[in-house]
Amino acid sequence: MRIHLVAAAAVVSVAAASVAFAALPKDKALAIMHERHEGMEKIGDTNKLLRREFASSAPFAPAVKSGAATIAGLAKQASGWFPPGTGPEMGNTGAKAAIWQNQKDFQGKLVAFQQAAAAFNAAAASGNMDSAKARYIAMIDTCDACHKSYRSEMHH
Amino acid sequence: MRCLPQELPLGDAPLTGKQPVWDLPVRLVHWTLAGLVVFSWWSVHNHHTDWHIWSGIAILTLLIFRLLWGFVGSSTARWTGFIRGPRTIASYLRGGWYGIGHSPLGALSVIALFGAVGVQVGLGLIAEDEDGIYAGPLSRLVSIATSEKARDIHELWFNVILGLIVLHLGAIIFYRLRGKSLVAPMITGKAATDPRARPMRPGKWWIALICLAIAFALSRWVVAGAPPFGP
Repeated sequence: MRIHLVAAAAVVSVAAASVAFAALPKDKALAIMHERHEGMEKIGDTNKLLRREFASSAPFAPAVKSGAATIAGLAKQASGWFPPGTGPEMGNTGAKAAIWQNQKDFQGKLVAFQQAAAAFNAAAASGNMDSAKARYIAMIDTCDACHKSYRSEMHH
Repeated sequence: MRCLPQELPLGDAPLTGKQPVWDLPVRLVHWTLAGLVVFSWWSVHNHHTDWHIWSGIAILTLLIFRLLWGFVGSSTARWTGFIRGPRTIASYLRGGWYGIGHSPLGALSVIALFGAVGVQVGLGLIAEDEDGIYAGPLSRLVSIATSEKARDIHELWFNVILGLIVLHLGAIIFYRLRGKSLVAPMITGKAATDPRARPMRPGKWWIALICLAIAFALSRWVVAGAPPFGP
């Protein structure tokens, strides 16, 4: 009897959770979209700072290190930035609906970015600016690969 | 003596057959530029920002070449050959102008298009995309804020170019309706000309090659990041 109750409770809570998952409350969805937007913007701005460092003949290692750490940290957070229900149907966003139609491909590209960001961070932390630059370029390519399919022009 | 065969007396029978009006470099620059402007627009709206940047560099090369050819090219390609003051433009509008090449009014269109595209290339060279993935080769010479401003103006400035293109196409249709094709001469290089007009004096092919080499060298320098190859 108790087992049945527990099982029933489990079924109910799983059902409730999946309902909640399918229909993310609007305020929650908008909060995630905002966090995503700010995070992506921060990554972009950091990219710009890093490009200028790597363009110079002697990149300033502390700036590269801190930039790489910033991006690697945000990249980790990006795992939580794309729950279903945070697409263009919810509000103004640069995220295309295709993200949720090609989940497997999108997640693969997201993981590729996260790994590249981690590798760049490790190279930057080692202090070798040549290898950091190579890892930075490789990481930028993962940004581009994903944006080509899944980012739309966003006017805000 | 030298001018004698070039200026036929008034009242003479009009020249039959078509005379050269545009040299090959002018025609090639024109059609390549038209193609590259369309390609630049298409590529940037289809996630090919890398192609867009190379297209801009190619346009830069064309503009440098055309600028130089405007000093040492054929008579109809030279800036001094077609840029005229308001008085000549007014006279042209009253029908009191004859000549070959750009009309005094058309010259304004050339200057406007050349200048507008030049501004667009300049903005693109220092611009940077929103995501920090792509940047013009000279963006490193300016601050991030300037790069972003340049990108915004670069986007807006396209409307200026678009307006000039519409005007350009409108003029072609206008002349077409009045029985004069401007497109055919830009393809074949030849047109029926006014017998009173001074024939085109062609430029030299090896001077064109030197201009092209200079244009390539300067563009290559820009691609490398300019001054002493970077900041």
